[in-house]
Parts: sequence; C-alpha cells; structure tokens
Amino acid sequence: MNATGIPLKEPAVSAVAGDTEQLERAYIDASTRVPVLMFYTSAIAWLILGTLLAGFVSFKLHEPDLLSNISFLTWGRVRPAHMNVMVYGWASMAGMGTAIWLMARLCRTVLRYPLLLLAGAVFWNLGVLLGVGGILLGDSTGYQWLEFPGYAAIILFVAYTLVASWAVLMFRFRRGEQIYITQWYLLGAFLWFPWLYAAGQLMLFVVPVQGVLQSAVGWWYANNLLFLWFGAIGLGTAYYMIPKVIGRPVYSYHLAAIGFWSYALFSSWTGMQRLVDGPFPAWMITASISATILTIIPVATVGLNHHMTMQGYFPLMRYSPTLRFTVFGAMSYTIFSLIGVLISLRSVARYVNFSQASIAYSHLGLYAFFTMVIFGSMYYIVPRLIGREWRYASLIKLHFWASAYGIGLMTLMLLAGGFLQGANMEDPSLVFSESTETVLPYLRGRSLAGILLTASHFIFAYHFGLMLLGLGRKSTVPTFLNPVEAEGEEAHL
Amino acid sequence: MKGLAPLFLGIFGTLAFSWMGLTVIPNWQIGHLNPQSDEEGTDTYPMPQSGMVERGAHVYAANGCIYCHSQQVRADYSADDIERKWGDRRSAPRDYIFERPVFLGKMRMGQDLANIGARAPVEQESPQPAGAATPAASPAAGAAPSGASPGPGSPSPASSAAASPAAAPTSPAPNASPISKPSTSPSPAGSPAAPPSVPHPNEPPTSPSAPVAAGASPTPVPPWPEVTTGEPPMYSAAWHHVHLYSPRSINVDSDMPAYRFLYQTRRISDAPSADALHLTGADMPREGWEIVPTFDAKCLVAYLMSLNQSHPLKEVRSAAPAPASPATSPASSPAPAPAK
Repeated sequence: MNATGIPLKEPAVSAVAGDTEQLERAYIDASTRVPVLMFYTSAIAWLILGTLLAGFVSFKLHEPDLLSNISFLTWGRVRPAHMNVMVYGWASMAGMGTAIWLMARLCRTVLRYPLLLLAGAVFWNLGVLLGVGGILLGDSTGYQWLEFPGYAAIILFVAYTLVASWAVLMFRFRRGEQIYITQWYLLGAFLWFPWLYAAGQLMLFVVPVQGVLQSAVGWWYANNLLFLWFGAIGLGTAYYMIPKVIGRPVYSYHLAAIGFWSYALFSSWTGMQRLVDGPFPAWMITASISATILTIIPVATVGLNHHMTMQGYFPLMRYSPTLRFTVFGAMSYTIFSLIGVLISLRSVARYVNFSQASIAYSHLGLYAFFTMVIFGSMYYIVPRLIGREWRYASLIKLHFWASAYGIGLMTLMLLAGGFLQGANMEDPSLVFSESTETVLPYLRGRSLAGILLTASHFIFAYHFGLMLLGLGRKSTVPTFLNPVEAEGEEAHL
Repeated sequence: MKGLAPLFLGIFGTLAFSWMGLTVIPNWQIGHLNPQSDEEGTDTYPMPQSGMVERGAHVYAANGCIYCHSQQVRADYSADDIERKWGDRRSAPRDYIFERPVFLGKMRMGQDLANIGARAPVEQESPQPAGAATPAASPAAGAAPSGASPGPGSPSPASSAAASPAAAPTSPAPNASPISKPSTSPSPAGSPAAPPSVPHPNEPPTSPSAPVAAGASPTPVPPWPEVTTGEPPMYSAAWHHVHLYSPRSINVDSDMPAYRFLYQTRRISDAPSADALHLTGADMPREGWEIVPTFDAKCLVAYLMSLNQSHPLKEVRSAAPAPASPATSPASSPAPAPAK
C-alpha cells in the first residue's frame, strides 16, 4: 500500500514560486499546446455537428415525416452519421488530445515530433469528413460502428498510425522509472485500438468472415472500442485528474493494478451478450455474459480506489470544475457497468435486447462516463495550454448541469421506455406496433434531453472559443465554480 | 509497475486472448458452413443471391434499415418471436452463409424481417381480385354480420365480406386504413382512426391466441399486425412499394419514414406503367402523372422478397410443421382465401 512513489504529489502552488518542477511542467505544457489544441478544436467542432445530427435523429424518430424526402437526410443515414461523428470525430479526437497531454506530462518530457501529431490530426479529420459524407451519400457499409466506407477507413488508419507511433516514441524519451497508472491505461488504449480497428476491417472487408460471424466480429469490435479505447482513456484520465486536483496520491496502487488487469481481461471478452439468443453457438454468448458479470471486479476496485482517494475531499467538487466533471464521469462508469451487467443477463436481455435500452447503455458509456471525464480534463488542460483561465464560472456551471440533467433524463427515458417496449414486444397478445407506440412518449422525452445537451454543448463550445481567442481571464487563480470562502484551500484546483 | 515488458506483454496478451476466443475460434467452428441439400443433391438451401437482390442489400445498408429492423428469429424457449409468426423456427448460422453484409440487427422499432419474403402471397405477380383477400379483409372490412372477426388466415367469411360492396366505402377515404388492432383490450387508439363508415368499433377485437369464431381452424391465426385496405396483397412487391413510399397510408401507427426519394414522379407518356404505385388518398399523384419505383427501389423490394428462412434446416427444430400444412405457414397466410 505504499503509494509514495507516485510522481503526482506536487507541492501546492503557494509553496515555492520558482520551483523547478513547476517550471518544467509549464515548459512541457507549452510544448503540447499546438497539437493538443488542434485535437480539441477539431473534436469540439465535431461535437457540435454530432449534436445537431443527434437532435435531428431524435426528433425524426417520433416525427418520421420530418424532412424524409431528401435522401441524405433520411433517418437511416443521419443516425449512423451522428454515431460516427460522435465516436470518431468527437470522442476519439478529444480522447487523443487528452491522452497526448497526459503522455507528455507523465513521461516528464517535452513533446517531441509534433509534426506527427499535426499530420495525424489533419488526416483524422479528413477521414471522418469523408466517412460521414460517404454515409450521408449512401455509401455506408452496413456494419454498426464500422459504417465508414473503405476510403475513409484507410485514411483514419493512417492518421491513427501517426498518433500511435508518436506515443510509442514518447515512451522511449520518458524520464523516471515509475510508470504511473494512467500510463498503463493510455498505453493500452494506444496499442489496443489499432489491433481492434485492423482486425475489424480485415475480418469484415478484406478477408470477410462468413455469415453471422460478421456480426460477431462487429460487436466484438464495437464493445472493445467502447471499453479498451474509450474506457481505457477515460479511466486513465480519471486516475490522473482526481488525485491531481485534490492533491493527494491514489489510495492504493495495488488495487489499481488489480483493476487494470481485470479490466483488460474481462471487458475485452464482452460484446457477444448483445447478440443474445441470436444464431450463434451458445457458448460465445455465455462467455460474454460471464465476462460482463466479471467486470464487476474492475468496477468495484476502480470505484473503491477513486472513492477512497476522494474520501474527505468530496466538498472540493463545489469549487473545481475538473473534479466535478471527472467524479461525475467516474461514478457514471460504475452505473454504466452495472446496467451493462443487468441487461446482459439472459432473463433481462430477452426483454430489452431489441429495445431502446441498448441505446441508453451506449450513451451511458460514451457520454455519462467518457465524455464527462473528457470535459473535466479539458477544463484542467486548456488553461495550461493557453495561459488564461476560463472566463465565466457561470458558463461552466451551466454546462455541467445541462449535461448532467440532459444525460440523466436521456438515460432514464431510454431505459424506462426500452423496458416497456421490450415487455410489450414479448407479449404476443399485443400487436407489434403497440411496442413502438409505447416507447414514443419516452422518445419525446429523450428529445427534450437532447435539447438540454445541445444547449450544454453550445455553451461549452462558446466558452472554448473565447479561450482560443485569448479572451480568458488573466489570473494565476483558476476559475472556481463557487467563490472559495476558506483561506488555505488547495490552490491548484 | 516497473518495466515496460510485462506491461506490453499483458496489453498484447489480453486482447490476443479475446480476439482468439471471440473471433478466431468461432470462425473455426462455424465459419465454413456449406448449404444443406437432400440426398439427391437437390433442394439446396440456402442459395447464393445475385443481381438485384445483392444490390438491394446495399440499398438496405445505405439507408440504414438495420437500425430499426432485425433479421433474426429467436428460439421459442427464449423469446416470443415464433409466436409472433416472424418465422416457424429459430434462425441458424447456416441461414446467413451467403449474406454480406449480414443484417442481424439490434433494434426492433419495426418488425423482424427475417422471413418477410416468406410472408408474400404465393402468386404475387398477378394482381388478381383476390387482392381483397388480404388481411385487409379481416376485422375492418370483414365486420361480418355474425360479429365473428375472422383472422387473416381464417378461411371462412373473409373473402366474401371483403369482396362485398360493404367494404368498398372504406377505400376512398384518405387514411382509409383502419388499423384494426387485435389487442386484447378494445383499443381506443384504433377507433378514432377508423372512418365512420366502418361499422366495426364495437366488434370484439381479434385475439391471436383465441380465434373467436374461426373454430374451423385449430391453429392460431397469424397476428399480422398491419392490416391494409390498399389494393396490393400484403407483403407482395406492390405492397412493399406502397409501404416504402407511404408507410402511414397502410398503417397509421407506423413509425417508419417514407422513402420517397427512391421513387420517381413522372408524366404518363401514353399508357400508365405496369409498375406504377397503386396509391390512394393524398398520396395519389396529379392527374396524368404516375409514381414509379427507381431501380434502387426495385432492388430493395427484390431483396426484401428474398428474405426467407422458412426452409427447414436439419440442425434446427421447427416450431410448426411448416411445409406440411400450408394454412399454418406464414408463407401462404393470405392465400387460403382465394384457394377457397
């Protein structure tokens, strides 16, 4: 339980002004400015586009005649466009931005080879742009989560190779023997993603597997993308931000190791539970259901670790935007995983397998957990890149509450609606359309949640734009959500 | 954690384990299936599809049908798909060996389509008057004096009632698709939609599990939820075109978007085209114009008509003796009436 070796604990800012470590960190931060901001800016642009598409998708689901006569605005094209913009445009780019910054900091070396990253960002944007355009023009491949047509997928892969090779190079220049928990997750994410993506592309398009195995490969890819790419980046970021902001080392290093390895082992075996009762050998599905249940182990260890780290420091969420977003995300990770376990059980899956509940599950993972953690990290990182503090505490608060209520409402609506939809579907005395009609009011509620989320994203994008334009506050004190009453609060919130 | 080697090995090993377990080994187990055929080597199933069907699958993918429609029938012990008459047996890996991409689907905002082609009327090419014998005939039009509500598949009064002039007044109304909802409770939702001319509101709705008066038929009546007063027989090619062009003209409760961009409105040159859509009400084109499917739409419908898993498979137990008694098979559900 010796946690003293963690290179996190830094002296409070107030300690020594000209502290060398402090200077060094500022130097490292400055070296990451251009690449990280490039990833962040692109990500936020995609976030806005994806949000608009999402609202469109949500409204069209209960108003099917809305602009349905235009081929590229038909629901079945806008939906995958939204999904891919969010997954590859927003989440992946924002995640990579945060990961790059964390890598540089934790390797304790200035960012080298920035051109690799810049080229990576350019190509990645190009890939997403072509892919989304392709989907809207009717070029979708028809595989969920891998809808991008081949020409876009190749570009994405090239872009990714640039970023990943940068990450591996950075590791060679790292200083210090210790590899911090966050680095395990980040290194894992950077190495897992290319394998996942290449395996998905190869087994579906280059040497396609037969019949139903395409679905198995597709869900294996999608689930692992969720866990081993987004999940790993999200957890790694939380492992950095929470101890950093409260100025206290992680509760237990050993617990973190158990959490990491059980996470890598069990969550990578999930995925087939989404095909429950489908035309597959039963052992595949059972294996994934078991693995899903076993993910309780990493969830419990990670949750416990974060909780014990935060113990006594929860009141700081009142002040620090980063902490508030990150803790929300970390708690959502627990909820996300537990709901994942619940809906994977055969007796439950029978009812919810083909319902809106699975949409709730994806949004819990990608938004309530991952996106919120990434928002938190952006609130921490961007001021350190730009040298200005966030301008309005009120906007941060609005952003948080709109996001939190938005995703909460959306999850509730989709889960409740999904369970009712599934129950009606499984009642053969009701006509089928009864089940879709049942869920419609909940889908309208979801649209309401979508409006909240749209507002929150526009607020955040506006605030981020102000920062980019150098209109942040010039101050050495970070922007707190609420005025800090007591003197001697941790200053590096 | 010290040292990169264990970290790298662990990261590599965990994913390798999962990749082997969930993709490579299944591929070894069920990745090289062949079609089955009987002793003489005839009656091969499944057969590779080609031409329009293949292109239709791409239209299906391009327009995201998979986000609302699944194509898999779950076993009777794990779900009620078979009871819903979405198939006679569960789907098996062999059903999909020629599908690429495979559209198992994860959402049912619309019906399962695994057997949509099997539900087509037998002679879907000929627009015979028996079109009236579609399920349309059932509760609404077939508001038979007896109060019996014949289910779509029940042989007795359906065809005669539908053919009778009593049914005629229902069709001209714009939304003349009184969706009869065979729900167990008298559904208030169905009634307002019904045109006043339809004398059915008081009629006891059909319950699929309890065929009321169709005592002659011992099998449960297929609960086709959608009931059409449109002219083409349900699930025929012409029906699919009307449904794709204007879903709510067939089922007011439908939540499906219209796919009008797959259709072309054009002036009738000399004679109306054979494949022009039989539209009613507000969807009708102006005088002298007609609406015809584009090639993509034809391919899509050809693809839908090809979806058929009714062929028995040796490895799967069929819930119903499908080919033995055509009356119970979904494939022929609309057919019995003309046969009579």
